[in-house]
Amino acid sequence: MEKPRRSSLKFVIDLLIGLVLSYYARLISNPLQSGLAYFAAGLIPALFIGWILFPFALYSKQPQPISFNHALHMDSDIADGIEGDTEAEKCLYCHSFRDDGTFAGIPKLELCMECHDDPDSPLGETQAEQQFMTEYVAQEKEVPWLLYSRQPDCVYFSHIAHVQKGELDCQVCHGDHGKTLELPPFQKNRITGYSINIWGKNILGLKSNTWDRMKMDDCAECHTQKGHEENNACFVCHK
Amino acid sequence: MENNLAHGHRFGMVIDIDKCTGCGTCMVACAAENNVTVRSDESDKQRSITWMQLYKITNGKAFPHTEVSYFPRPCMHCDEDGHGHHTSPCVTVCVATATRLDFNTGIVSQIYTRCVGCRYCQAACPYHARYFNWWDGYKLIQPFPKGMERSLSPEVSVRTRGVVEKCTFCHHRLMRAKNKAYAEGRREIEESEYITACAEACPVQAITFGDLNNPNHKVSQLIKSPYAFRLLERLNTKPKVYYISKKDWVREMADNYLPGEFKPISTAAVGSR
Amino acid sequence: MKFNGKDITELLALNRRNFVKLILGGAVGTGLSPIPWKLADDTAIWTQNWPWVPVPPEGEYVHEKTICKLCPGGCGIEVRKVDHRAVKIEGRTDFPVNPGGMCPLGMGGLQLLYNEQIRFTSPMKRVGARGAGKFVSISWEEAMAILVDRIKGLRQAGQPAALASIDGNPGRSTMSVLIERFMNAVGSPNYMRIPTSEDTYSMANMLMTGNDGPMAYDLENADFILSFGSGLIEGWGSPGRVLNAWKIWKENAAQKKITIVQIESRASNTASKADQWIPVKPGTEAALALGIAHILIREKLYHSEFVDRFAFGFSDWITSDGKDRAGFRRLVLEKYSPEKVAEITGIDAAEIGRLADLFGRARAPIALCGRGKGFLPGSVFECMAIHALNALVGNLNTPGGIFLHDPLPLGLLPQLEPDAVAAAGLKTPRVDQIGGSAHPFSQSLIENFSDAVISAEKSPVDTLLCFSSNPAYTMPDGGAFNKALQKIPFVVSFSPYHDETAYMADLVLPDHHYLEKMDDVVWPIGLQYPLYGITKPVVNPLYDTRNTGDIIIRLAAQMGDTVGKAFPWKNYEEVLQVRAKGLFDHSSGLTEYNGPEAWSRISEGGNFTPDYKSFDEMWKKMISGNLWYRPAHRYGNWGGIFKTPTGKFEFFSMQIDLAVDEASRQQDKETVLMSMGIHAKGDDAFMPHFESLVSEEDHGHYPLKMVPYEMINLSSGPYPNPPYLNKTLFDNQLFGDESFIEINPRTAADYHLGQGDRVVVGSSRGEVQVRVNLFEGAMPGIVYMPLGFGHTAYDDFLRGKGVNPNRIIAGGRDPLSGYSIWWSTPVKLTKI
Repeated sequence: MEKPRRSSLKFVIDLLIGLVLSYYARLISNPLQSGLAYFAAGLIPALFIGWILFPFALYSKQPQPISFNHALHMDSDIADGIEGDTEAEKCLYCHSFRDDGTFAGIPKLELCMECHDDPDSPLGETQAEQQFMTEYVAQEKEVPWLLYSRQPDCVYFSHIAHVQKGELDCQVCHGDHGKTLELPPFQKNRITGYSINIWGKNILGLKSNTWDRMKMDDCAECHTQKGHEENNACFVCHK
Repeated sequence: MENNLAHGHRFGMVIDIDKCTGCGTCMVACAAENNVTVRSDESDKQRSITWMQLYKITNGKAFPHTEVSYFPRPCMHCDEDGHGHHTSPCVTVCVATATRLDFNTGIVSQIYTRCVGCRYCQAACPYHARYFNWWDGYKLIQPFPKGMERSLSPEVSVRTRGVVEKCTFCHHRLMRAKNKAYAEGRREIEESEYITACAEACPVQAITFGDLNNPNHKVSQLIKSPYAFRLLERLNTKPKVYYISKKDWVREMADNYLPGEFKPISTAAVGSR
Repeated sequence: MKFNGKDITELLALNRRNFVKLILGGAVGTGLSPIPWKLADDTAIWTQNWPWVPVPPEGEYVHEKTICKLCPGGCGIEVRKVDHRAVKIEGRTDFPVNPGGMCPLGMGGLQLLYNEQIRFTSPMKRVGARGAGKFVSISWEEAMAILVDRIKGLRQAGQPAALASIDGNPGRSTMSVLIERFMNAVGSPNYMRIPTSEDTYSMANMLMTGNDGPMAYDLENADFILSFGSGLIEGWGSPGRVLNAWKIWKENAAQKKITIVQIESRASNTASKADQWIPVKPGTEAALALGIAHILIREKLYHSEFVDRFAFGFSDWITSDGKDRAGFRRLVLEKYSPEKVAEITGIDAAEIGRLADLFGRARAPIALCGRGKGFLPGSVFECMAIHALNALVGNLNTPGGIFLHDPLPLGLLPQLEPDAVAAAGLKTPRVDQIGGSAHPFSQSLIENFSDAVISAEKSPVDTLLCFSSNPAYTMPDGGAFNKALQKIPFVVSFSPYHDETAYMADLVLPDHHYLEKMDDVVWPIGLQYPLYGITKPVVNPLYDTRNTGDIIIRLAAQMGDTVGKAFPWKNYEEVLQVRAKGLFDHSSGLTEYNGPEAWSRISEGGNFTPDYKSFDEMWKKMISGNLWYRPAHRYGNWGGIFKTPTGKFEFFSMQIDLAVDEASRQQDKETVLMSMGIHAKGDDAFMPHFESLVSEEDHGHYPLKMVPYEMINLSSGPYPNPPYLNKTLFDNQLFGDESFIEINPRTAADYHLGQGDRVVVGSSRGEVQVRVNLFEGAMPGIVYMPLGFGHTAYDDFLRGKGVNPNRIIAGGRDPLSGYSIWWSTPVKLTKI
């Protein structure tokens, strides 16, 4: 019973493919007459819009209020005090955990000035540094940094569970951000309001690195890979 | 992952009805903790949202033998059947997988951004523990109640119109406790570190919260009392919220007994155990 | 041009077929691009993040400690903040009053802070009609100038007494001391306080023990609680503390170690949850207490050592000029036999006997007087009758009994030296007739004040200052106070909230919300050990408001002269320091609390070392922990604790006797007693006795009685009800904008009333419309109406919801004290 059915299915498929191919052959043999030109005239701009213009238009670009050199601060030879055996330890110097285990995120001015209050600290040499001193430090105003990795309000994310308990490197999610010489512009999705870093730079959502995308499936994939399937329960990451 | 609650935590609650004074602090603490919205007309009980709700009961006797009492009712966080199949009524019916029973904590979750607002779960819940948002409770463009959004807690997300919400056993407090434990280099949390806002606020400590799977936790000991019972127990929903009352008439209120079906506990019999 | 034999223009013509192909190409191209898939995803996300839904900002979690000021209970609270935003109030476990627990009102405090619609955001000048709540914002400079000019004008005209003030701050608090000082410095005797239960307690205590201030109850150590109507779990006393005591009792009750008896006409929560409920006719509690006393005396269950050696007026006695006077024993044995009391109270004689037996034989019994939350004054003679029960069993100054205390030795402000204008002003008789012979022990009578203003052709008061109170809403006088307010030319409110009294004001100088200011808490009522708390601001002031303490000091400074000199401080904090310094100089205490419970370690005599060395250290610790307390008490010592004229506990109050004698010089004794509102004849008038509430109303006209009741989850005092508390109300208490009365189904049947029916409750003062809730726990013949509804000010959460029973309360005046009687108003019901 099985065999004939399979062969008849194959026959139908072959027939369909044959029809399509012969029709296609006719089209390209005589593109004008067949109207392929018109099809192409619709197809090509649509592809151009979809692949080139749309991603460009979907995201607004906004520079950070001032430039910041992560690489410089991570260089122990230059930045005194920011030390650590691992890279994560260095990151944690400024992006620290509070006593209650919550993540302080981007440091406040106070922390910057802990080092830069020292008259020997080289601050105010570049234009960005001068701007930082006059616009923020002098006026005791916090810098309104734009957050690349902000998750929506419905998401609960515990840094300490991943960094301390899960022993993940910062790089797993944040990539080489710590090695950048200047801050990339902040790109915001005009529809969702989310940063481009959540969906990823690739408009298809394809990723080659763990940090290329930060959607729910990416979290779940990692949990599963690391054998923590129980952490895919809804309430672990939602609030 | 184990497909039942035999392992891991099974958080539950025991409420001593005889201690409870009906003061309502649990309700207010719950609302304040969980960004529950408040409307100018809260007397419309089909629309008002109360994750923790007090039910007033009376023994029905004529003056001067009347007695009143209260059932504080959070979400019961109904259990599974031991094999991970039949779980809470709401979970079973949810078409959007917006509500799930977490086999690691025993907590029934509710994800607002996943909820499609069909209200099937609301119909399924025999405890009326689920609430639908008919309005956006907090609005920035229409400032009403003006300024009140300043007291919103970031630990619980603000719900929009069109989704169902319910008690979460203050799940964010579990996360808070875990964070603290990790910060201190621990992997497990202590009994006192994770309690719900209602249990914490109760001025007579009528509410006890803890892990029913942990024999050392107070809740595990309290539920062994012959006076412990659950609401509508015979529906086999296996609630993780237990009540204790020595008053027969209170216990009789907990289920729909046929005349003569309810078996009062004789105090003498219990005393001799 | 030809292509394949056809004209190319013909080939390229945009005909139907080609157009379809063009569209198809576009559709396929779009489909092969990320547009549809990405858009679908993004749109789904977009629907989850409406721009009008607030996203609470994350930040650092900070916990700030202070004390709740929404009632005089003084519960310790911890405010959880995210950066600078307060997001939750929680109970403190490192504060001795309330080990972690709280009441719902305190829990809802943030809604009073952040609800902009009920707060004054700056000083205001009235522009609309009085009561309409229409104001324009003005600067503090302008507002202060208006008030200073006004008071200066009064002083220049030689009429400083035309300034009056009503103060709702708790007794002995530094704010009340400061306000009274300001009034005295200006030269006005018309400083009035909102009457509270504390006044009744203090008066009864003063008349019987000579001690100034209310008695304290060692509730946690007691083993028999005989509560005459106090809503122990409905907010009475310091709610956090009493509810914790309830927890302890309940745990002990399981081991049969304690019995709670509630005497009350309605099956309230306390009555239902008590071990026994005695449904007494409302207003006859004093008779029941005396009936119990009868049996205690008759069966010799009383403490004979205490009564014989340390009490006065128990037996008959003879005055120095040889007159025979009756004693308490004779009064009780002759007039309060169980049978007679049964008739008055509706409680079985045998039941009374059983209660007396239990009370007399208990190890540590306590008889409590009071009603509901204990905010409102009660009957002084009733309180004395209940106090007499405690004395009979000798539980004064014994563990688990009633404690008598000296007031806290708070630092005194320097002696005031009024100038000539002020000195003359202070001699003017008070508008509320305090100082006359009618109510010699009362401190202020706002009822008299209203009557005087209404009946005068021109208001004797030109400017009225209202502090921390909302008398336009809370006074039970059928709106008399409001009428008086209409006649007073200039009314100033210091309220932070849009309350009814502020709506009647011409000028509003808004105080901070309690979480924004520094203030003090002086010995929460009923606490068995002295405690002094300092609250500190836990959030920065949100609006242009100022601490009223600072404003009074600045007002005085701007007044100049002796008024300015009387206030030599820079700010209110300095005044608080002066007061706290007194504690450092004259007492010793602790500023830290970390269990075991303070009540369980009250040390005999209390010689312990303070946990501070200098005043600076003490003050610093008080600021951080908000606390100074002294878990110590001197038990027994009955020989030295009574400050009555006889030096003993007085069953027969010599102070009443002396006051009546004094007044009798001008008029005969009968008239004097009548003017005090005392109907009892002979020596009864000087002893605890039962006065039946004879109302002037016609009983045929008003056959039922209305008894208001208080709920712990509904603010009925000067503070607005936080919206969250509306969630806790049942829909047979408030439905839509209508509140309910509770009546017994039998009474309802007489009026053909069913559940939810609308009905008009009428008294001689007015009418209100409510709906009916049938409640078996209501005593037949009584109409129970909740206090706390019926606001006409505030916002949509409160305004117009239900009715305020104060509008129809007409219970007459309490004998001796002269305070309004809340608890019994003759009413009629009319079905509509």
